[in-house]
Amino acid sequence: MAAISLPALPASWNPPSDPSSSISSLNERKLIPAGRAYLHHVQRTVHDLSFDAHDAHVEEERK
Amino acid sequence: MAAPNGSIPNGSAAAGDTGAPAVVGINFGNSYASIARGLAECIANEDGERQIACAVAFQGEEMYLGNQAKHQLVKNSQNTITGFRNLLGKKFSEIPQSQIALSAPVIQHPTEPDVPAYRVQVLQPAPSPLPKSAAHTPAASNVATPRSEPISAERILSVSEVTTIFLKSLLQSAEDFLGKKVSGAVISVPAWFDTPARAALSKAAEDAGITVLQLLDEAGAISVCTIARDADLEKDDAASKEDPTPADRTALIVDIGASALELALISLSSGLSTTLHTSTVSDGSVGGDALDSALIRFFAKDFTKKTKAPLSVAPSTEPQDKRAEAKLRLAVEHTKRTLSASPGAATCSVESLKDGLDYTGSINRMRFDMEARAVYTAIGRSISKLLEEAGVDGYAVDEVVYVGGSACLPGVDESIADVFREDVRTPFKAGTVVGGGSGDPTTVLARGCALQAELLTNIASAGGEKVDEITGSFASGSEHTQVKTTSRTIGLLVPVAAESAEGSIAELGGVFVPLVRKETPLPARRRNVFAFAISPDNARVGFELWEVAEGIKIDRIKLPAPEPEEGEEPEEEEDEYEEVKSVTLAKEKYLGSVVLEDVKGSKEAKVEVTVSVSQEGKVEVKAREVAEGGKETSLSVGA
Ligand SMILES: Nc1ncnc2c1ncn2[C@@H]1O[C@H](COP(=O)(O)OP(=O)(O)OP(=O)(O)O)[C@@H](O)[C@H]1O
Ligand SMILES: [Mg+2]
Repeated sequence: MAAISLPALPASWNPPSDPSSSISSLNERKLIPAGRAYLHHVQRTVHDLSFDAHDAHVEEERK
Repeated sequence: MAAPNGSIPNGSAAAGDTGAPAVVGINFGNSYASIARGLAECIANEDGERQIACAVAFQGEEMYLGNQAKHQLVKNSQNTITGFRNLLGKKFSEIPQSQIALSAPVIQHPTEPDVPAYRVQVLQPAPSPLPKSAAHTPAASNVATPRSEPISAERILSVSEVTTIFLKSLLQSAEDFLGKKVSGAVISVPAWFDTPARAALSKAAEDAGITVLQLLDEAGAISVCTIARDADLEKDDAASKEDPTPADRTALIVDIGASALELALISLSSGLSTTLHTSTVSDGSVGGDALDSALIRFFAKDFTKKTKAPLSVAPSTEPQDKRAEAKLRLAVEHTKRTLSASPGAATCSVESLKDGLDYTGSINRMRFDMEARAVYTAIGRSISKLLEEAGVDGYAVDEVVYVGGSACLPGVDESIADVFREDVRTPFKAGTVVGGGSGDPTTVLARGCALQAELLTNIASAGGEKVDEITGSFASGSEHTQVKTTSRTIGLLVPVAAESAEGSIAELGGVFVPLVRKETPLPARRRNVFAFAISPDNARVGFELWEVAEGIKIDRIKLPAPEPEEGEEPEEEEDEYEEVKSVTLAKEKYLGSVVLEDVKGSKEAKVEVTVSVSQEGKVEVKAREVAEGGKETSLSVGA
């Protein structure tokens, strides 16, 4: 897939001040326990793995 | 690939099979069931049927199953059992008795308290003479015994027992078709199936000899099938490479069966699905049965016109009309299938419909759509209501997935089209409905279950640490299904100088690209590569990170007045307007900025942006120029 093209920052741009310290409050939902993505989600939780660590693990298994 | 040994009918069983057992997916509807293995075609039973009617009938010494049993509804309805799936897990006292029974009525089990059951008349072989010993006698030794006339007897079958009989025959069909044992199955259940219903189904299936790997919500089966299809399309479809299905999207599942309409609005998020809202309408106003009624009224009128014999059906009161209605109901199954396959004339033929008169008539799709208008409208109304309850505009729905036999009718898709965006994805647009394509509404449930069955067996056989906990996470009510999702879309904004901007870019003050959509389950990670332009005087690229509020804007656009026909007086007409919707974005929360100075590129810099949001909502953004010695930077936002 081609990368999305984005414009350059204007020369006059400065970062806005006072960033928020957190994102908006989260929703509570229920995942449907189905599919490979759910399996991976559970594996990361159960083994306490980051996305990167889990990726490495999956890659390892494929070999 | 070598041809497999043994005979495998219908050729769709994968070649090169070894004798190893298979796992299958079962779509167990209230009216029809189907079985699949893998993403491939559904399995056909011995009559060549892939949509197998959920019916069990007894006639004399014979027991019929599937569509053969359904045909017993004409002359032997008292001994024909249908509609049992929806009664699983229910007490007799919980079942409304007002329901008019076209088949064997539900009765209180004579010996078990508050258990729904059926009473059927069967012929039983006459009791054989006293067995010679208590031990199992080989069957052959009985052959010599002269057989007496079978005797008429009553048989009581609980809802669970009927289910077991039916599921056992499904299992048998699958094993015959595949030429191998079935070691496990995932069975679909509707969203409203409660704990007792699930328990009753599991028990009935186990009693039928089926190892139940999971009872999967229909929405789950659909999302599995949908995601697998995306992956497949991406692999070989050139068109989808140009316009890939977004991994993050909102989908509406429209399941139109025989007696019920089930709707589910789900969020698909890189393969993870959450249910946003569901609804079920089962009052008989929407679904295949209602379409049948419309169709048989049409044919009954036509019959009377052609023969002068009065016939009033749907509803019918006279016994003769009732019989004719039952015959028509069976006959229009074929008519509807023809109508969904082609716009031309579809016939309906019934021998001796009434008063010994045969009937043959036809209807084309356009006429059928007129007859079906009320049902289509009711479907549209239910969809609008669901979207309203969910607080989601139809314009924000990215994909419509059709499920259930009645959703094969293109008229359904056409009649609800204006609720959605013009570019909404539907299997009709993609041309994947006909001929059992990947979007075939009659097979998606079984195929989704089949894929899920494969996934579950692979987990179990791979083993490893904590495999029990992982397997257990697929059980209904597992704590792993509890999840937090984002409530706003987070994205990057590249500011643009006010003078050069127009439209939405001017409104937002820059170019916005969503990175993590709202309703994304956490933790989440999204990675994209962007090509940033570099201005000649400044070798820096970057963006602001914002949370945005999305809305829908409706503009009323005046339509041009129709040109008066030549020679006609120009009419005084009221202006006509068209409502045009568009998505609006408003910046809500500024979260920080990411800037890479002194990038390597000359005209543009390719930058990989990775956003991770933790379970608690902490955001990490990493930006890295994709170039040798490219700069990296990062940003974290609270929680
Ligand atoms: N190709 C088709 N075109 C039109 N209608 C069809 C087609 N195939 C099946 N049907 C109709 O679809 C209905 C069955 O749909 P489905 O198999 O999804 O039912 P179900 O989920 O078991 O039913 P229920 O709504 O009672 O739970 C029947 O009314 C049948 O006539
Ligand atoms: Mg159904």
